[in-house]
Amino acid sequence: MVFIAVLSFYPTVVTTIEAFFRVSPLDPPTRFNGLGNFRALFANSAITTSWVNTVVYAATGVVLSTVLGVAGAVALKRRFRLRGLVLAMVILPWALPAVDEAVIWNWMYDPNFGVINSTLRSLHLIGAYHVFLGLDRWLTVVLIEIVQVWQITPLSVLIILAALQAIPLDLYEAARVDGAGAWSAFRRVTLPLIRPAIAVAAVQAIVLSLNVFDQVYVMNGNAPLGSSLMLQTYITTFQDLNFGSGYALSLMVTVATVLLSAAALALIYRRAEAS
Amino acid sequence: MTRRPVRWLGRTLTLVIILLWSLFPLYWALNTSLSTLSAAESKPVHYLPTPLELGNYQQLFGIAGSRSGFATEFGRSLLNGAIESGGAMVLTIVIAVLAAYAFARMNFMFKRVIFVSVLATLLLPAYATLIPLYRIMSSFGLINTYIAVILVYTSGFLPLATWILYNYFNSIPRSLEEAAFVDGASWLGTLIRVVVPVALPGIAAAAIITFLLGWAQFLFPLVLTSDLSAQPVTVVVAALNGQRIVPFTLLMACGVLAAAVPGVIAVVLNRFIIQGVTSGAVK
Repeated sequence: MVFIAVLSFYPTVVTTIEAFFRVSPLDPPTRFNGLGNFRALFANSAITTSWVNTVVYAATGVVLSTVLGVAGAVALKRRFRLRGLVLAMVILPWALPAVDEAVIWNWMYDPNFGVINSTLRSLHLIGAYHVFLGLDRWLTVVLIEIVQVWQITPLSVLIILAALQAIPLDLYEAARVDGAGAWSAFRRVTLPLIRPAIAVAAVQAIVLSLNVFDQVYVMNGNAPLGSSLMLQTYITTFQDLNFGSGYALSLMVTVATVLLSAAALALIYRRAEAS
Repeated sequence: MTRRPVRWLGRTLTLVIILLWSLFPLYWALNTSLSTLSAAESKPVHYLPTPLELGNYQQLFGIAGSRSGFATEFGRSLLNGAIESGGAMVLTIVIAVLAAYAFARMNFMFKRVIFVSVLATLLLPAYATLIPLYRIMSSFGLINTYIAVILVYTSGFLPLATWILYNYFNSIPRSLEEAAFVDGASWLGTLIRVVVPVALPGIAAAAIITFLLGWAQFLFPLVLTSDLSAQPVTVVVAALNGQRIVPFTLLMACGVLAAAVPGVIAVVLNRFIIQGVTSGAVK
C-alpha cells in the first residue's frame, strides 16, 4: 500500500517542491548575483509599465468577472425550459483556448473591418472607425482584459450558481414574512450565504488575471504599451535569454499572486463570519 | 397580473443578452470563415455570410485543388494538440485515481501535510513553474517532443484532478469496498473492480476537464516546442495571427477548427464539467 501510495504521490510532490524552491533567482546564473537581477528589473521601464498594467488587468478582471458572475448566476438560478442548453452555451467560452479567443476578438476589434467598429458606426455611436488596440494605454488594457473576462466569467457563474442553489427556499419564505423586499432579501439572505463562493470565484479571477498572457501576446504583441508581467517574464527569459532576471520576475509575481489571493480569501471569509 | 408579461419579457431579455455575450464572438468567427475575403472586408459588415463560401474549409481539409502544404501543416498541429492533451489526460487520470484513493481511504505518515501541499499548488500560478520546467526538459534533451509537453501538462493538472476525484471518492459509501475486502480482494483489485466503476462519473469529469485544459494550453507549448513535430494548434494559430500573411477568412476558419474540438466536448458533456468544477469549490 505504501509502495503504491508513494509511487502515485511522487510526481505531485516533486512538482510541489520544485514550485517552491526552483524558482529561486539564485539558481540559474553562472555566478552569484545577489539582488542584481531585481535591481535590473526595476530599472527596466517596460517592466515597471507592466507592473502598473498588470494591477489594472487584475482589478478590471476581478471586478468585472465577479459582478457578471453574480448577475449571471442569479439570472440562471430559476428553472426554465432549455436551461441545460443555455448553461452549456454559457460555459463554452471557458472551454475554448484563450489564444484562439484572443485571435477572434482581435478580428472583432479590427480598426478597418471589425464588427465592433461597423456596428457602433451603424448605430451612430461613433462618427468614424476607431483604432481600439495599441493607441491608448488604458483602453488597450481594458479591452484586452474584457476578452479574458469573457473566458473566465463562466467559471464564476458556475461556482456562484452552485452556492445559490444550495440556499434553502424557506429562508426566503421567512424573509418575506418579515416584510423584506426582493432587494433586501438578496442583500440580507443571499449575499451572506454565497460569500464563500464569491471568494473562491474572486481568487481564481485574481490568479488568472494577474497572469494574463495569451490575450496580451495576441492583441498587444511585444509593445510595452499594454504589456503584462507574464509577457515580460516570457520576453526576458525566452527572447532575451536572461534566465536569472526571468526567475526573479516570476518569483515576484508568484509571491504577489499568493499574497493577494490569501488576502482576498481572508477578507471575504472574515466578513462572512462577522455578518 | 399586469406585471407578469413585464417580468417574462425582462427574463427573456436577460437570457438573450447572456447568450449574445457568450456566443456572438464564436458566431462571428464562423461567419467570417464562411465568407469571401471581399465580403469579410465590406463596410458595413455582413451579419450573415453572403455569399456563402466554403473555400476556406475546403482548403484546410485539402479538398480544393492541390492539397496545399498549409492544410497538411494545420492538420498536423491539430493532431499534435490531440496527442498531447489526450496523453496528459490518460497519465493524469491514472495517477490521480491512485493518489485520490489513497488520500480518501488510507492512513499513512504525513498524509495531511502531503495533501495540503498538493492542494496548495492549486493557488500557485502555473507560470511559477515555467522556467524550471523548461530547464528540466532541456537538460533531458526533451525540448520539442510530445513527452515534454505531456509530462509538463500532467504535473500541472494533477492537483486539480486529484482534488476532484478525492471529493468524489469521499461521497462513495465504504460498505462496498469492505464487502470486497472480506471476500479477500486486494487493495488494487478493489480499487479497479469496485471503486472505479462506481466513480466513473467523477472520473469522466476529471478526464474531460483535464483534456480541455490541455487543449487550451499556449505558453507552455510555446516555450517547449519549436516546430511542427510537436507544436499544438494553439501555437500555430497564434503564429498565423502574428504573421499577418494569412487572410482573415482563412485565419477564422483555423480558429473555428481549433475551437470545434473543445466546443463540441463542452456542449455535449457539459453536465460532467459543471459537476467537476463545482464539486470542490462549494466546500
